[in-house]
Amino acid sequence: MSNKDTSNTLHPKVADARCQMESGKLNRREFVRFAALLGVGAGAAYAMAGLPNPAVAQDAANLPFPADDPDAKAGGILKVAMQVQKIDDPATFSWTQASNQARHMLEHLAMTGPDNVTRPMLAERWEASDDLKTWTFYLRKGVKWHNGDDFTTEDVKFNFERWTDPDLGSSNVGLSSISAMVEEVDGKKRLIDGAIEVVDDHTIRFHLAKPVLSFPEDMYNYPTAIVHRGFRAPLDDSPNGTGAYRIAENVVGDRCILKRVTEADGQPFEYWGGKVYLDEIHYYNFDADNQLTAFAGQSVDAIYDFGVEQMELAKAIDGQIISARTAQSLCCRMRVDAEPFTDVRVRKAIAMAVDNSLIKPLVYPEGGDVGENYHVAPVHPDYQALPPISRDVEGAKALLAEAGYPDGLEVTIDVGNTDGPWHQTVAEAMRDQLKDAGITLNINVIPASKYWEIWTQTPFGATAWTHRPLGTMVMSLGYRTGVPWNESGFSSAEFDAALDEAEATLDVEARKPLLAKASKILQDSGVVVLPIWRPIYCMASNSVHGYPAHPTQYHQFNKVWMG
Amino acid sequence: MAVTELDAGPSFLDRLSRPKPLIVLAVLMWIPLTVYVMFGDRLDGYADTVLLPAIPATLVLYILGVRAFRESWVAVLGLSLVFFWLLMAVTAPYLPLMDPNKPIAPFTTPFSEKRDVFFWLGTDFKGRDMLSRVIWGCQRVIVWGVSATMVAYVVGALFGLVSGYLSGWWDEIISFFANVLLSFPVMVLFIVILNYLGPSGFNIVVAVTFASAPAIMRIVRGLALDIKTRDYVFAAQTRGEHPLYIMIVELLPNVRGPIIVDACLRLGYTTVAITTLTFLGLGLQPPDPDWGLMIRESAKTAMLWKFSYMLLVPALAVSSLILGFNLMADGLREMSLRD
Amino acid sequence: MLKLILRRLAQMVLIMAVSSLLLFAIFDTPEFKKRLAVQELGGFAVSALTEDSYQSWLAKRGLDVPFHERYVNWVGNILTGDFGFSFEKNRPVGPLLADRLVNTGILAFFVFALMIPLSLVLGVLAGMKEGSVQDRTISFVSVFTTSIPEIASAILLTVIFALGLGWLPVKSAMIGGFSFRELVLPVLTLVIYDFGYVARMTRASMAEVMTSQYIRTAILKGIPYRRVVMKHALRNALIAPFTLIVLQLNWLLSGVVVVEVFFEYDGFGKLLLEAALFPDVEVVQACTLVAVAVAVVSQIISDIGYTFLNPRIRFA
Repeated sequence: MSNKDTSNTLHPKVADARCQMESGKLNRREFVRFAALLGVGAGAAYAMAGLPNPAVAQDAANLPFPADDPDAKAGGILKVAMQVQKIDDPATFSWTQASNQARHMLEHLAMTGPDNVTRPMLAERWEASDDLKTWTFYLRKGVKWHNGDDFTTEDVKFNFERWTDPDLGSSNVGLSSISAMVEEVDGKKRLIDGAIEVVDDHTIRFHLAKPVLSFPEDMYNYPTAIVHRGFRAPLDDSPNGTGAYRIAENVVGDRCILKRVTEADGQPFEYWGGKVYLDEIHYYNFDADNQLTAFAGQSVDAIYDFGVEQMELAKAIDGQIISARTAQSLCCRMRVDAEPFTDVRVRKAIAMAVDNSLIKPLVYPEGGDVGENYHVAPVHPDYQALPPISRDVEGAKALLAEAGYPDGLEVTIDVGNTDGPWHQTVAEAMRDQLKDAGITLNINVIPASKYWEIWTQTPFGATAWTHRPLGTMVMSLGYRTGVPWNESGFSSAEFDAALDEAEATLDVEARKPLLAKASKILQDSGVVVLPIWRPIYCMASNSVHGYPAHPTQYHQFNKVWMG
Repeated sequence: MAVTELDAGPSFLDRLSRPKPLIVLAVLMWIPLTVYVMFGDRLDGYADTVLLPAIPATLVLYILGVRAFRESWVAVLGLSLVFFWLLMAVTAPYLPLMDPNKPIAPFTTPFSEKRDVFFWLGTDFKGRDMLSRVIWGCQRVIVWGVSATMVAYVVGALFGLVSGYLSGWWDEIISFFANVLLSFPVMVLFIVILNYLGPSGFNIVVAVTFASAPAIMRIVRGLALDIKTRDYVFAAQTRGEHPLYIMIVELLPNVRGPIIVDACLRLGYTTVAITTLTFLGLGLQPPDPDWGLMIRESAKTAMLWKFSYMLLVPALAVSSLILGFNLMADGLREMSLRD
Repeated sequence: MLKLILRRLAQMVLIMAVSSLLLFAIFDTPEFKKRLAVQELGGFAVSALTEDSYQSWLAKRGLDVPFHERYVNWVGNILTGDFGFSFEKNRPVGPLLADRLVNTGILAFFVFALMIPLSLVLGVLAGMKEGSVQDRTISFVSVFTTSIPEIASAILLTVIFALGLGWLPVKSAMIGGFSFRELVLPVLTLVIYDFGYVARMTRASMAEVMTSQYIRTAILKGIPYRRVVMKHALRNALIAPFTLIVLQLNWLLSGVVVVEVFFEYDGFGKLLLEAALFPDVEVVQACTLVAVAVAVVSQIISDIGYTFLNPRIRFA
């Protein structure tokens, strides 16, 4: 690995990081850790950093947070506009907002940073067996709960048992790691005996029924916050966590107030994660539409997000616009079992008549990436570009004629704007482009809540998919034969096999071509027109420093400071 | 056509002002407009011609209206505002306007040029021409507003006549349900009904009917109670006419006067209701232009002084239409008092 | 009189019973239940639920029993003072509704405090001399302001005072506690829309009184005009507007919806809309009960007031 030519096969982030290191923004040790997480062998990483290869590659502190800013000032209250939701039970959170409210109190085993790299958090490190069926997590020592208890494997075990409790209904069961620990008995899913093995107070081992690649990434999914072994819902009644803050007040639809924890069981509380700067974090309830106006009125210091249609407004307001590249997308997918999309030629004709490279700049003039009709994004570490697709109107017409529609075709797409009005803009752009190929696209706009009622059944619908850290994750959730979220009804044994192989490969470089093979099959099937990888935007006032824009909008304010 | 025949003298206009030609003119104006807005997507090749007969009909109606209202400048002003928007509604397809749904140059301020296009009223957040959106938008507001009011009147008047004329159990039952509906604040009723049926133009008609019909029913019932003691009703009863005949032929024309004033006011309320509901997300759905929708979209993208034209244009448009209805009602009331 | 009030109250209870039963039936459809599930669990999660787990979710929310059974329970709870539980806001409906009603009450108080004097003075001034320039101007202004829907006047005021001059805040979320500055625009919006109507009614009533026999006699007797207006005309002319003003309370409950939503003011109207869209059945129910109660009670008060204030009716 160390002798490999690193110029063209490396993850693009490595090159970025290298630039940062060379310009002095990133220290060398940081770079090495970063590169290692992206699949670069430690030896190669140290060589790139110009450091001697040490025997222990771990930093002493090994913290997942950004480096401390030497100018940072302590103190202050950060006010954020976001929807304030109920937070009864972290294992059953349904929305990112709820998890943000709890994220500074309850922490995760791993943490995926704004750079889409997953680092150890409450765990100190982890190891996977070669077959990816046994994962060992080594927990961080010296982590304390707010009530003074030590954080141990008991806590972790308690959480895994809760998540797999069929009566709780946690969506974590759907994660590939957790689903590999359950079996179905009498129609109910339960934890397999012996799946969790407690080695000692700070070592825990998981035995999985099938190989799982994304275990660390899964551990930062929003409902996987680790609660205390004595947890009883609702969370607001007895707030207890390992984080630097604790929820002092949570009024749904109004406000959520978090305060710095200074004392644990009569003793001064020492937070494991190093320095934090803010005294308090306040979330105030504002609808997505009104957050920017609230920010403009200086009621709040930062906002959860704003839509691209508000960009001009945002630019006119004093403050910093922070954007993140993501793998969030809009999938205009066709159900393979509904007329006229049963015919692969019809699907391909639609995909061919759409010009993704024109839609992206029209809808998101700033940021974002052009999609290529398969569900792996350039920000994914295991992304490998397929040969570029280009618009072919004549080809589309020919395919349509061959499929029995020589005079064109009329289809209707359901649009729910679940993620903002830009869905409709995409559909409108598609409508104009499809017209050239003789395809009439009717746009049926329905309310978001209605769309979620039909999203898996509608013949042609535009569904928003959120970001997931690895390319294999959504491919597996949305396109594998028979999985619940397979909204297109796509079924291909060849695809499943290719994906299985990719998911069984830990080495990123080796995984890329395998995933590309699956991607190609999906692209060729024409089930999905995926024109955009959208950026997300948020805003913070100039007095807020280090406000992170995370691709899944997860808030992590440990190193944010005001001044 | 209207202009040349004006020369034929007032006698011709007088002849036109009689009920029958008036109804024909109103139908000529209204049916094409309604068909165009409600079923425009199914017209295919006829879409461009269907509104043609409505243009002269609207103009003639306007002239007749001005003539009839000439004593009250308030009423003429109201009539002019309403007919301005009506004329915009029927001529929209033939005006030299840009496609109201086509994004051209986002956030262009009024009276300025961008990408070689001049925008009188600027463009919205998607770059769609505001002038063309506000003109096309009035079609939907007017058609749905008037249709909803008309349906509410048919239903309300029917129940009112039955309740007032037949009295007894009919009256008890109908009045109780009217009271139930009247006990709800209008907005509560709208929200509950539209939330149940789902947001669309037709459902707005249903919701407005539920909200307005009880009040109309009460007015008509009161009038019917009063009129049914009149001689000509007795005469019809002794002739042995069917109650339905008496209600429609004898009673209905005689309750017309007060109802017309109320109808003008109610047209205003309904327009407010539709705009407000659309603003709240319960009314007409995008992407076609509509004033409430324009406000809704601009309220989140243009809350800034330099973009405030996006909010002001639809707000002023809807206010002027409602002002028109209210002034018309005022003038009519004034005139009826004078008689 | 008492009999009439009791009859009205009995009718109110009947109306409440009928309407709440209807609402329960309406919100009992599978679509609404599904929508609630989507709101609570997320669209992706709901579609992954098996029929069994969906049923157990319904059972956990108490939605698996037929609506009439839930209705009976709900009525029982209401009688013990329990208004149910809000799915969306995750707290009992009683205190939630009370909080929001207080906010709307504050709004309504200032609206009335401004609207009543303004409309009465303008109405009296207009009605004193019917047909004068003063009258015509005031009448036109009141038609004009009544023609601007709340949503439009909210926009106009915001554009001028908040966006243009920067004197007042754009939104009224009051996250830093109660603030007068944030209350100004919502109050003005409601006043502008409503005062014209009351002023016109006052004008009509005043004009009627001024043409009545006893006022003419008083003027002929040589009593100063001012005194006639202040002592004799006003008292009689204000009967009708006062009863009308009580009825405006009912109108206000509709009017606040759009104003509260536009200005993000956490009151009754915003709560109702959010609850209906969620759908948060028990909150909608409670809001409806409040609305019906306000409507009927204000009607009764207005009737009583009219009877007591108007000697002709009392002694007739």
